Amino acid sequence: MKTFGLWALLTAVFYVLQTSLLPIFSYGGISTNFMLLLTVSTAFILGARKGVFMGFAAGLLQDLTTGSYFGCSIFSYMLIGLGCGKFSTHVFKEQFFVPVLTSIVAAAFHYAMMLMFMLLFGYRFDIEAHAGQTLLPMMLYQFLFAYPVHRLVYNFDKRVKRI
Amino acid sequence: MAPASSHGLMLVLSPFQSVVSWTGERIGHVTSTVQELMTVQEQNKELRAEIEQLRAQNLEASEAVAENQRLRALLGYKESAKQFDLMAARVIGRESATWSSMVVINRGAADGLMNDMAVVTELGLVGHVSEVGLNSSKVQLILDPRSSVGTLVQRPESRVLGIVEGDLNNPTMPRMVNIPKDADVKVDDVIVTSGFGGVYPKGIVVGHVREIKNDEGGLLKYGVLETTVDFQRLEDLAVIVVSREAPPTPLQPAPATE
Repeated sequence: MKTFGLWALLTAVFYVLQTSLLPIFSYGGISTNFMLLLTVSTAFILGARKGVFMGFAAGLLQDLTTGSYFGCSIFSYMLIGLGCGKFSTHVFKEQFFVPVLTSIVAAAFHYAMMLMFMLLFGYRFDIEAHAGQTLLPMMLYQFLFAYPVHRLVYNFDKRVKRI
Repeated sequence: MAPASSHGLMLVLSPFQSVVSWTGERIGHVTSTVQELMTVQEQNKELRAEIEQLRAQNLEASEAVAENQRLRALLGYKESAKQFDLMAARVIGRESATWSSMVVINRGAADGLMNDMAVVTELGLVGHVSEVGLNSSKVQLILDPRSSVGTLVQRPESRVLGIVEGDLNNPTMPRMVNIPKDADVKVDDVIVTSGFGGVYPKGIVVGHVREIKNDEGGLLKYGVLETTVDFQRLEDLAVIVVSREAPPTPLQPAPATE
């Protein structure tokens, strides 16, 4: 229970940072998606089941509090958590390169999922131009923060396990 | 005899005295220098701490000045817009503007806020309250693709109606759509709310037309708007709690005729 509480606290801290501090450093309204990074890191460190649960929790938090399209982030993050968790069995936990690289791929996957939802909702827009405007800065932001976030989550997990 | 021996002794001793005195002076100088250095080091530490403190104070003062300016502007708007009862609010959270544009403000049902109340700044329209919590609320910005605002061209000879909605292609510049192709809309026209729909009161500035483009169908055109509000730097805003018709301007006394 204590472990769950600590992970919930970490998620909340990341969420607060994402919605209050990071927008100050945003580019054209785009900034780092800490919830996505947290999902990827958790899945790589704790495996598929917990990765999916973190994806659900992070997506729910995001969808509920920001008034975005409800369910889209949950679905996308859960898939990412599942994929990264399944893949984590092939990667050493001390190996940081693959999770960091996967965070960037996960950002692109999340973008593609949201794009698909938008098209299904009936919004029509120039996909190429939109991707050029948003996807590249998004991936760059993810790349910048992927390593520090993954290291922080890795250290956090080690400390939590010691408690 | 005595003075001679005294002189001789002094003559012998004086070089030693000079050397010892010089050495003593040097040692004294070095000691005082070391003492000074130690004092300087302490002073340096104190001054550094003071500088840090002053920097922090300066930063706080700059922040307070900036906040003061923003609130003064908002207060000025509150006093000029007598047809509205406004409630000041502060943005406490926002999501990246990739697919939706929402902010969270620090006012909720406990402060009397309700769904669909319009949100403005002294510069123009921001959006509307889309979901009210107890102490906070979500505000859907006019940049959100789900947002639709009934608007018209402010120019008296035009008054063309249209709908302003968020554009996924350009998240910072909404579009005024549903404009007939032959309608009188020009670049730099000011767009204000029409009051239709019941959510947004009439006459709030939305932005001005930056560009006019033909719609894909061929019968309509749309205007790309530059909003008067800078959504990237949205901090303090006001919720229109009550909206009344603008009071008529007082009659001016007729000029006296001789």
